[in-house]
Amino acid sequence: MRKGYIKFVFLLPAVMWVLFFTIYPLVDSLRLSFFTYRLGMGVGEFVGFKNYLDLFKSPDFWNACRVMFIYVVVAVSIEMGLGLGFAWVFSREIKGKAFFRTVFTSPLFTTGVAVGYLGVTIFHETGGPINYLLGFIGKQVPWLSSGSWAMVSIILLDVWRWTPFAFIILLAALQSVPEEMYEAASLDTSSELQIFRYISFPTILPAFTIALLLRLIEAFKQFGLIFSLTEGGPGRTTEIYCVLNYRTSIKYFDFGHGSAMAFLLLLVVMVIIIQFFGRMRKIYE
Amino acid sequence: MKQMDGPVKRTIIWIIIILGTIWMLFPFYWAIINSVKAKIDTFNPGAFFPFINFKPSFWAWNKVFGEGDPIKPLINSAVVSTATTGIVLLLGTMAAYALARYRWNIIKSKDLTVWFLSQRVLPPVVVLIPFFIIMMKLHLLDTWRGLTMVYVTFNLPFGVVIMREMFRDIPVELEEAALIDGASDWQVFTRVSLPLAVNGLIATAIIVFAFAWNEALFALTLTSAKAGTMPVYILSCRSTRGVLFNVAAVNTLLAIGPPVLLALTIQRYLVRGLTFGAVKE
Repeated sequence: MRKGYIKFVFLLPAVMWVLFFTIYPLVDSLRLSFFTYRLGMGVGEFVGFKNYLDLFKSPDFWNACRVMFIYVVVAVSIEMGLGLGFAWVFSREIKGKAFFRTVFTSPLFTTGVAVGYLGVTIFHETGGPINYLLGFIGKQVPWLSSGSWAMVSIILLDVWRWTPFAFIILLAALQSVPEEMYEAASLDTSSELQIFRYISFPTILPAFTIALLLRLIEAFKQFGLIFSLTEGGPGRTTEIYCVLNYRTSIKYFDFGHGSAMAFLLLLVVMVIIIQFFGRMRKIYE
Repeated sequence: MKQMDGPVKRTIIWIIIILGTIWMLFPFYWAIINSVKAKIDTFNPGAFFPFINFKPSFWAWNKVFGEGDPIKPLINSAVVSTATTGIVLLLGTMAAYALARYRWNIIKSKDLTVWFLSQRVLPPVVVLIPFFIIMMKLHLLDTWRGLTMVYVTFNLPFGVVIMREMFRDIPVELEEAALIDGASDWQVFTRVSLPLAVNGLIATAIIVFAFAWNEALFALTLTSAKAGTMPVYILSCRSTRGVLFNVAAVNTLLAIGPPVLLALTIQRYLVRGLTFGAVKE
């Protein structure tokens, strides 16, 4: 560890940038959540917690919470489960592993809104490939015109987009389990399931937890894919939290309620973030 | 794991891999075949194989580029993402280096790092309205500069955290040797440490580029006709054009192509980058 004041020259530009561009907006956002404020009318009067209370009385707000809750729980569970399954399959010797690994991570950096737009054609009820194939067994699904099926479409697309995230992290973790541990275990049992249950999974649990927490943090931000696939519809059946928050703030320019909504989301996500920080502090030691 | 699998198990494993591969690649395949379908063939979802089921045509590509619509958003996306990446690398490498190599007494290096991390994981919608107001007051709505400032803010913390890990991987002895030979701290940083970390830096750059390229919420809020990026363009196509399958496919490919192709080159640092250094390969 070196000493010397040049370290401040190295560090300060980044610190100043982040301080200036995040602390001020955060404080400003908190302040606005206690005022009535619509664009063009300027900051109105101080209303205390009224914006927050309005939200608690609004059915649209509770609907957005419900949609977010369903999406986060269902999509993230499937993604973590499938990711773990694929990682387990890939943790053995496989011909062409590097190639298949690349294939299984290819959706990772796709643009959310573009995936949603493509999804409109994939789930199209008369011209889409899924209903075409279902036609052979005499079935048709109203993918985007029924509220609950629209939710299924969103989750299917999201699972495609995000399973690779869990997969690649868990695969890296599984491959770093020392060979000796398997050799020792294989003396006691030949059941691969038991080895997974008692050796592999406990060893990769820290990586699994990190992947899960990061995925949860990301899932609460969900906006683009849903905004382009269903636009929150039909009706408001898939209007997830950030879509409603965006509409309140930027479409209706209701800055007071928009800020209050954003802060409520922050409170919820904070619970997860604090868990995450506890783990990361040890890693950055 | 090196144990031998029986033939039944091997077959099951390969069935899983092949089904998974089809599933992972299908959306890309669907976009590609649709982009080369003539108007008449887009109404036939069963036409899965070019030359067999339908005659490929560049009608949609010609139409999209002939009207020139995606060119401006492509340029906007490229400029904003590249500028973001450049600034993040410049400020980020310096800060990361300071955190990796120098002694911090009052606030510890790991606490500073976690503070940076906190700026990355906050839901961005929390600062949506303040940024909109700031950009409006500074007359930076619908400009490259405005959007770049926001993207640097979100990605700089990521850059600092991940590049700190990369610098910590470099053996410190090389830098000490250079110092003994009379090099200044700045010279050690630019001539010794940076070249050694270059692979990690390229990986970081690509991830930041992809994050900036794919961002939709702020792009939609802060830009429109003049500086609108690809996500803004995609959303406007969706609402004004309805869904003409082949045109939609061309636009989708233009949007997802650059980040996906770039990311394919960074397999080695992917896991580290995605987990902020928590999981290594």
